[in-house]
Amino acid sequence: MRQIKTKTGIGRWLPRKFDREKAAGTLEFTDDLRFGPELLHARAVRSTIARGRILSIDYEDALKVDGVIKVVVGKDFPHHFGLYLKDRTPMAIGQVRYVGESVALVVAESEDAAEEGAAHVKVEYDELEPVFDPVKAATNNDILVHPDLHKYDHVGFVTPQPNTNIATWFRIRRGEVDKAFKETDHFFEETVTCPQIAHGFLETHCCICKHEKASPELTIWTSAQSAFTVREIIAKGIGYPLNSVRVIAPPIGGGFGGKAGMTIEALCLAAAMDPDIKGRPVKLFIPREEVMISSWVRQGYVARIELAVSKEGKIQAIRNSFWFDTGVSAEYGANPVRSAGYTSTGAYYIPNVWTDCYAVYTNKPFGGAYRGFGLPEFMGALELVIDTVANKLGIDPVEFRKRNLLKKGLPTCTGMPMHDHGLESIITKVAQKINYDQKEEPIRPGWKRGKGIALAIKAPAIPADASSSAIVKINGDGTIEVLAATMDMGQGTYSAFAQMVSEEIGVPYDWIKVHFPDTKSHPYDWQTVASRSTWSMGMAVKQAAISAREQIIKLYSEFWEVPEDCISIEYGSVICSKLGKSERLDERIQNGFKMPDGILKGGPIIGTGSFTPPDIVYPDLETGQSPKSVVHFTVGAVGIDVEVDPGTGQIVVNNVAAGYDVGKAISPVGIMGQIEGGTIQGISACLMESMSYDEHGRLLTPDFTDYKIATTMDVPSSVDAFWEEVPEELSPYGNRGVGEHSMISPAPALNNAVYDALGIRIHSYPLSRERVFKAVRALSNGEKDFWEWPYELEQVFRRAKKSWE
Amino acid sequence: MTKHIVRFILNGRAVKIEVEPRTTLLRTLREIGVISVKRGCEEGECGTCTVLVDNSPQKSCMILAMEVEGRSVTTSEGLIFPDGELHPIQQAFIDEGAIQCGYCTPGMVMATYALLMRSPDPTEEEVRNALAGNLCRCTGYVSIFRAVKKASAMMKKLPQGAGDR
Repeated sequence: MRQIKTKTGIGRWLPRKFDREKAAGTLEFTDDLRFGPELLHARAVRSTIARGRILSIDYEDALKVDGVIKVVVGKDFPHHFGLYLKDRTPMAIGQVRYVGESVALVVAESEDAAEEGAAHVKVEYDELEPVFDPVKAATNNDILVHPDLHKYDHVGFVTPQPNTNIATWFRIRRGEVDKAFKETDHFFEETVTCPQIAHGFLETHCCICKHEKASPELTIWTSAQSAFTVREIIAKGIGYPLNSVRVIAPPIGGGFGGKAGMTIEALCLAAAMDPDIKGRPVKLFIPREEVMISSWVRQGYVARIELAVSKEGKIQAIRNSFWFDTGVSAEYGANPVRSAGYTSTGAYYIPNVWTDCYAVYTNKPFGGAYRGFGLPEFMGALELVIDTVANKLGIDPVEFRKRNLLKKGLPTCTGMPMHDHGLESIITKVAQKINYDQKEEPIRPGWKRGKGIALAIKAPAIPADASSSAIVKINGDGTIEVLAATMDMGQGTYSAFAQMVSEEIGVPYDWIKVHFPDTKSHPYDWQTVASRSTWSMGMAVKQAAISAREQIIKLYSEFWEVPEDCISIEYGSVICSKLGKSERLDERIQNGFKMPDGILKGGPIIGTGSFTPPDIVYPDLETGQSPKSVVHFTVGAVGIDVEVDPGTGQIVVNNVAAGYDVGKAISPVGIMGQIEGGTIQGISACLMESMSYDEHGRLLTPDFTDYKIATTMDVPSSVDAFWEEVPEELSPYGNRGVGEHSMISPAPALNNAVYDALGIRIHSYPLSRERVFKAVRALSNGEKDFWEWPYELEQVFRRAKKSWE
Repeated sequence: MTKHIVRFILNGRAVKIEVEPRTTLLRTLREIGVISVKRGCEEGECGTCTVLVDNSPQKSCMILAMEVEGRSVTTSEGLIFPDGELHPIQQAFIDEGAIQCGYCTPGMVMATYALLMRSPDPTEEEVRNALAGNLCRCTGYVSIFRAVKKASAMMKKLPQGAGDR
């Protein structure tokens, strides 16, 4: 008998949690918190050169600025921090490694004074030759970005190569690759490049740290995706017990991976832990331009992909060489490189696989997590190659994809068998939605119209033991509070959790609150990343809700003297139809029931839940093989119909369809938002986004005037978003994540559509107007491929581009 | 630096604030607890600090507080009705899933309000133009287009002038 009834459970379209406060403008983000006059403000002095030794830091004049109370430099706070590889110090010590690296921190009574003070710090450098090209850095060890690489602590699955610039090297060795290439009917080799791109969240980094004057206790308020991981990295870095570091994460204004792990907290801490400052809170607000020059980016890459294809159009082997430009630090960036590596046959079955993915240090800002975590990069290249190969073979690109699809039971590149999924049906629907089979006339006279499709696949790229836990508290009036340390940064997980609790306990959604993370009160969760929360934290929340429900029903069973299965909870009331009883949850849930025997029983009801993925095995370091490398994959496809103006290089998206197999839609409004938003973010990245540097490594695009992101003028009127529901086995309700996936394939789908429109393949992202215009010119000169290199890349890659000819 | 007194109407109430001549309206508003205006870039690029000055949408980081002397400034908080009900524009953003992280939302709402005041039934082109200075990284704008359309319909159902704030 179903014991629960609710109209606001999973699968319902409901107003999202905190939307009201967001619409009103009253929700407090980190920068909105008030600390009173004791608050100090910090401002970083940043390196103006890309590589060099620090000869001197003169801050005498800064200390004379009215309001400045202290200047802290790197050697004052020499702790190393990092999630997977401890290659970071909050400030440069002895040498700088990129333009924008913090070399000193000015602390003052006001923001203005800190800024003024920072302008008065003089730093002298002995400039050294930098390296910006990841392929050059990987293949030539004359310039080492991290000469001390061998000394850094790291987790076992990251493989730094000492005395090189390679921070990690991920390999797949599967099948007989050389043999397959030797015997193949068709051989193809393609290269694709993409620059670093910025997250472009609208709330910049902001953090407040306070260290107690007389005891080793630390409180951090920060714009972070993952309160507990900030706590762990900080505590390990400074050698504090976990319970002496409290991290409070107020709502954040967009993350997209850029606020994952630890970001600016350690820098702020360098001030807050200073003996002269302890006891006062210190705020570090990073203005937009500093965010752009100094913080996390999506890694750029140079990809070379070789394919062996039989005359029947079956892919027999793939050889991948992926150079990720991880910039100055791979503490987090090492892992998207692995994520790309262990998904390096995409959504296809390829029996023979050879993959080398490298995270390469260069003298640029550092690569870290970014929506899609290695897969927009990898699929951004692979899906172009698949399309190119299909066209060269004269096979319809959709048919070629379906012919090679990674169907249920077939092994992925790590040897793990693929689970069931709805990708084939999604591909068909996407093709129908954009009229893929019809060559349509352009709407705009003189323009060229084309259509393209690309597939998406991604697993949560998490450590094997990434755990979650949750608490569900039933209040004395039947309302419920959920403590689940996921950050709701707009993806809507709090709504999803509330729907799960409503589903399990039978109380209305409106009675349920989910609180923003505070490590002091919340139970542990690893991170809000990897599209894992509705799945992993969902497991914990569901378990906690069931546990609370079971306690309620057990108490009522004893109270009413009926078996437990005679009791249900419907719309917030506990009901026994046999006895004709119906009671609202009330203070007895909190204070106990006077049982028929006269004894008071019960007390506050708290449900708890914990989850850890049970059976993940890290891929072998030599071969990349593992019986279960990841928990599951979410798959999907994007189809885009574009028009290109050959006269200006302008691209306009006529229509875009995007579908994913989400297993089960818990909160449809959230999924819709993730698909719409991620699709546009992907289109934006494809059309206009690039962190561009001059020959000295200085960022040429440090603000939204120069670093373009899509505005209302650049997007289609709508996104045709849809999903399939082939349930996941180990999952709260069969659901899988979709937050990142929507950004994986818009770029290659768009690129494929532009190829369809123009007949020339553009191998370098982004497809800016200038670049498209140049490609049109190249086409008129008889070219079929177009590259533009962001730096002087190795000639070998120029040669590689057409070696099949 | 010498401070000056500036007087203006903030969300319908007269305020008198001491400011330095160089202080922006954005920082002044935040100083007195108006947190709907955000410091997204402080250089006029992102629109998260959009307010109405008299009836025109302005990026409050791009004007000095002293420039609003004697004028009327409206922020997203000022659209809320006295009984706590949200303005139809704010409600439409919720209904259409046009809010994700919420950082751009107050600015978007104000830009929409300015648009609907001058053009109650805007074409899609007008909507795009009116919101072109307001960046949103989460929604991809398509849900915001729906919200503006819905807000336009909701406001037409209100009695004449009831949606004016």
